[in-house]
Amino acid sequence: MPKLTVDGQELEVPEGATVLQACELAGKEIPRFCYHERLSIAGNCRMCLVEVKPGPPKPQASCALPAAEGQEIRTDSEMVKTAREGVMEFLLINHPLDCPICDQGGECDLQDQSMAYGRGATRYDANKRAVTEKYMGPLIKTVMTRCIHCTRCVRFSEEIAGVDEIGALYRGEDMQITTYLEQAAAHELSANVIDLCPVGALTSRPYAFEARPWELKKTLSIDVSDAVGANIRLDSRGREVMRALPRINDDVNEEWLSDKGRYQVDGLTKRRLDKVFMRKRGKLAESSWDEAFKAIAKAKPGKNVAAIAGDMVDCETMFAAKALLGAMGSKLLEGRQTGMDYDVSNLAAVNFNTTFAGIETADAILIVGSHVRWEAALVNARIRKAVKNGAQVFVVGPKWETTYPATFLGEDLSVLNRIPKALGDAMKKAERPAVILGGAALAQGALGAGLKLVDKFKLVKDGWNGFNVMHFSAARMGGLMLGYAQKNGMADVVKAKPKVVFSLGADEMDFEPFVDALKVYIGHHGDKGAHAADIILPAASYAEKDGTYVNTEGRVQFAEKAVFAPGDAREDWTILRALADALGVSVGFDSFAELQAAMIKAVPALGEEGLADFGDLPKADSKAKAEGTIAAYPIKDFYLTNPIARASATMQQCSAELIHGEELAEAAE
Amino acid sequence: MADRHIAPDTPELRERWDSFAWTKENAKKADWHIAKYPEGRAKSAVMPLLDLAQRQVGEETDTQGWLPLPVIEYVAAYIDVPVIRVLEVATFYFMYNLVPVGKFHVQVCGTTPCMLRGSDDIISACKKRGMEKGKVSEDGLWTLTEVECMGNCATAPMVQINDGNYEDLTVERLDAVLDALAAGEEPKEGTQEPGRHTSEPSGGPTTLKEMVDANHDYRGDW
Amino acid sequence: MAFLGKIFTWWNGATIGTLLNSWRTGEKVGTDAQGNTYYRAKKTKEGARERRWVIYEGANDASRIPVEWHGWMHGSFDDVPESNLPPAKIWEVDYTPNATGTADAYRPAGALERGGKRAKATGDYEAWAPDS
Repeated sequence: MPKLTVDGQELEVPEGATVLQACELAGKEIPRFCYHERLSIAGNCRMCLVEVKPGPPKPQASCALPAAEGQEIRTDSEMVKTAREGVMEFLLINHPLDCPICDQGGECDLQDQSMAYGRGATRYDANKRAVTEKYMGPLIKTVMTRCIHCTRCVRFSEEIAGVDEIGALYRGEDMQITTYLEQAAAHELSANVIDLCPVGALTSRPYAFEARPWELKKTLSIDVSDAVGANIRLDSRGREVMRALPRINDDVNEEWLSDKGRYQVDGLTKRRLDKVFMRKRGKLAESSWDEAFKAIAKAKPGKNVAAIAGDMVDCETMFAAKALLGAMGSKLLEGRQTGMDYDVSNLAAVNFNTTFAGIETADAILIVGSHVRWEAALVNARIRKAVKNGAQVFVVGPKWETTYPATFLGEDLSVLNRIPKALGDAMKKAERPAVILGGAALAQGALGAGLKLVDKFKLVKDGWNGFNVMHFSAARMGGLMLGYAQKNGMADVVKAKPKVVFSLGADEMDFEPFVDALKVYIGHHGDKGAHAADIILPAASYAEKDGTYVNTEGRVQFAEKAVFAPGDAREDWTILRALADALGVSVGFDSFAELQAAMIKAVPALGEEGLADFGDLPKADSKAKAEGTIAAYPIKDFYLTNPIARASATMQQCSAELIHGEELAEAAE
Repeated sequence: MADRHIAPDTPELRERWDSFAWTKENAKKADWHIAKYPEGRAKSAVMPLLDLAQRQVGEETDTQGWLPLPVIEYVAAYIDVPVIRVLEVATFYFMYNLVPVGKFHVQVCGTTPCMLRGSDDIISACKKRGMEKGKVSEDGLWTLTEVECMGNCATAPMVQINDGNYEDLTVERLDAVLDALAAGEEPKEGTQEPGRHTSEPSGGPTTLKEMVDANHDYRGDW
Repeated sequence: MAFLGKIFTWWNGATIGTLLNSWRTGEKVGTDAQGNTYYRAKKTKEGARERRWVIYEGANDASRIPVEWHGWMHGSFDDVPESNLPPAKIWEVDYTPNATGTADAYRPAGALERGGKRAKATGDYEAWAPDS
């Protein structure tokens, strides 16, 4: 613990801290461009110069200088001031003064810091450097003339994403940041370099010239594109969500966001359900709320009613539907649309118990039936971190491109019964072993066999629970907590032959078996569910309602409403509340606050933001055996997993270019 | 300085170089370079391997050699490094040629000491012989590049042609060297000044004169 | 009828009174391309500004005075415009009066008169239709 002084203020800093971190601990702001907490230290922008004694009589780059005992650091001396002015002036020699036409304007580090630390005028009149345009794919717009060579993007793609594709070619003033042969940056976290870029060199292509940061309303929300529950900020103008940006939450998404969570928001203005539709003579026609409610009441469902929750609904919607069905005397709730029927009697067994922050510290990881990169891109970045710290990774399932060294053990699940030696040794040696069961494994009924590994690999230790299930639907854990699960999954719902089926934005389910039922689709996008429905009640998407979401590690998080739903669409719970009147039952709440209170009373864990406690893992069934092979993963196309993303032009383009690009090129030839 | 760019990625380039592989001796040399570094650190050998590849390309094309993209990709695959990382190295260092060069790569030093001693004349002499900066002359023999200091300031001006330095040049001496090269001869490398051996002071030593013939202990003189 | 109109209406050309006055006290200076006639007072008091006026051929609309006569009317120059101004360039378009309030008035792209199709704006969304 070195003791040092910053501007005369004495303080102790942790071992291994840099001078920059010491200054921050002392509450001093150090300007910087290349330094970033989550990336390696580069030390090439020189903006963080401070005066350090003892040492050479010149300013030193604080980001790359280790804090040491007895250092006297000054951040307020004349030398530091002129040094910063000098560096700023150097940086601006070649930086174009095109702020008025630059998308970074208003949220630009260079702009802010030149205002705060710069000289205010330039002494250079020579021509500025110009750099040719670079193509980096459908998400990243580049104006490389603005690049100040901080190399944050290069370090991000190499260190965090694990996909070496961005590099710095040539040298000195001629240095250019580019991808190899200007291929598109093709990984799930690629757009994070836009946030990292301190200037306007890398900006968002779909958001190009859409809005200025100061005219946007910022709303704290939760990403629903996967079950990670990344914390996001929705920036909206008027009635439209313009963009989604990650918020910092070290427990969940650090400060990254998957490309889908970031760019599916333009799908919020496409294919929207904004009117009530009813099927008349086999065709869906516009209708009114009254007519639709009357038709549902006329079906006289009585107890014969079921509700299927979609992948993106919030807990409140699910609870409102549960209350409605409860009042009618039905318990036919299900959220696992594709027919999975794993045992949910103990939720700890279907939870990501290690937590995302915990998986970073694991030293041996077995992934069974999960394409982590596509099912939870941010967790994949965490696993990569674990691997960098020496963890070994084994995967059971079809091969996918990992961003770290991993051993594939084949597609046959029976390896879980007879553990291969390499895996067994690694797990035995590991202090913090972890197993991740994915959707593909659950679908094969491997949960029981997975639980057997808990004893075999000693996954549960003091302060460590290495048993994880990875879901990829934002609504899954919340749904399970609210009882959206039948013993045999969807099969039970089908067997009960409900007269009315409420589909709460459920688009992946099979509507075939419900051919005789009145299918009521309550959702926000016209997708498979809407096409199959008899009555469509337009509802709100995640951006248009307050809601509670539970991510796959059982973390309860609250999202706020950013904009209003379009047209006639209403927030889901109001629709269900009105339906209760139409059906002549009482659900016991009249406002959102009452609904939430009732929900929290029923499931107290949903009232507290943070990890829900599901208790201990259940005893494994000794007879459980893993059988079958994992033929494929449930996600076929990373960019098109949900109705919002499928409606999004950006996601469609990404899918066409980044996933089917090669096929397209071949077709063109 | 030099206006560098990567040779465009054309189907012709791919066709010509996709089949690039080490020759038998070069494969041995490459593995020898890699063996210099600890196990798993093969990527440390990227620079000698790029040089080796450039020389092999040179042999195949009877020029000084350059690095077409497929060759860079081959080197990257050989040491299992992402191509972009190898390309970064290849574009950073000026001794890796990114575009084809002639049989003789004439690199004229234009930094201050050489400039003061007349490197401008050397460059115009080169140009007079039909060389053009960054281009291969029509007969395929010459490529002219102006480079920064080569560390031969004591014998300025100098040019580096392929692997040899030719120092103490005048236009006439340069012409003699180039003519000899064009004729397939091997002119004497190093200083071109008659009577000078290396970079000792011209006109004989001015200090440490006693050291010329034998070792001399100066300590008594202090 | 036309005669009565000349007596009692003022919005088309000049009334009889103005015509009489112009004939009596005014001196004709010239006419422009639209046929408007320009007059100046025969006598001007010492030190006062010369009176200049126009009798319109058709509607009494001040914006019908073309730019060159506008200059003369406002005293920018004294002689007739033709003698003062450079010859018209071939790229000059014909002078048109202010079209506000007429059918020729400018309508932005989103106006109903131009089909009501405006550019995309924030908050617009694409609604789903069953047959899509």
